[in-house]
Amino acid sequence: MVENSPSPLPERAIYGFVLFLGSQFGFFLYLVWAYVPEEWLHSIGLTYWPQKYWAIGVPVYLLAAVVVCVVMLFGVNMINTAPLCSVDNITDVYARGQRMVDCQKRAIPRLKDVSISDVNRMFYSSPQ
Amino acid sequence: MQNGEHFGMEDETYTDIDGKAISLECQSHSGFCREFTVSSAKVSISRVMVYTCAVWMTAYIIFFFTENTAVLSSAIIITLVGMMIHIHFVKVDHETLLVIGSLGVQVSSSYASGRESTDFIEMDKIKDIVINEAIHMQRVIYYLCILLKDPSDPSGVSSVVPLFQSSKPRLNCLVKVYRSCQEILAKC
Repeated sequence: MVENSPSPLPERAIYGFVLFLGSQFGFFLYLVWAYVPEEWLHSIGLTYWPQKYWAIGVPVYLLAAVVVCVVMLFGVNMINTAPLCSVDNITDVYARGQRMVDCQKRAIPRLKDVSISDVNRMFYSSPQ
Repeated sequence: MQNGEHFGMEDETYTDIDGKAISLECQSHSGFCREFTVSSAKVSISRVMVYTCAVWMTAYIIFFFTENTAVLSSAIIITLVGMMIHIHFVKVDHETLLVIGSLGVQVSSSYASGRESTDFIEMDKIKDIVINEAIHMQRVIYYLCILLKDPSDPSGVSSVVPLFQSSKPRLNCLVKVYRSCQEILAKC
């Protein structure tokens, strides 16, 4: 059986180093593309580059997307919260389908979902 | 006819979930008929004046820079229409719960303009009246609700009717109403 442990392994060291080299190279390439003038790149022979506008455009788009995602996550959570009039606050399909098997005497009762009426009676009806 | 017991005058003061003071009045019309009224604070004249002054000052400042009289008249119209809509559709004066044993439950909301909206639920449809906790706007609140029976499944809940939605009283007020309702529901 394969163990899932976070300990360092030789394969993980190699993946990490490859990623490190790749990201450093990618960053260096991005800087070259953003700063070196177009004529120099054309004179070498590298002509098929994206517009330099995207050297600014892509980071700004990504940052704006991060901010919008934070706001949208908040909104999605609020949409997914059940309203006060929803039955999901009372019960759900698993609680409805649970088997009410009578327990033997002097045994610990089976773990189950107690109905809201019983809970209310225990909390609020009995004088405490 | 029996007189009502005014629990609002006891030493226990009730507040809603935001801390604003509310009052609860329980009237026992007979052995199996009780009425609970939760009243919120009335429209405060100082808040109305503050909002009106703020809107009109902004409109005057905009008029000062743009020299467009439509800004002033639209501010007046917006203030008037907004106030009318608020007191007629939004601001609830008091909410009433009338429980009649073996007949049903009547839920009524009375708005600040005098409009009343009423709903009646027959006792055959009612499974129970309970206090439930739920998440509401980044908070967990207690609220009183009527559980309606599912016609196909006798022990199931088909829908939930939350009560006192606008005044949202806290647990001490809800427990009082709950105990009183359970006495009536147990009899029928």
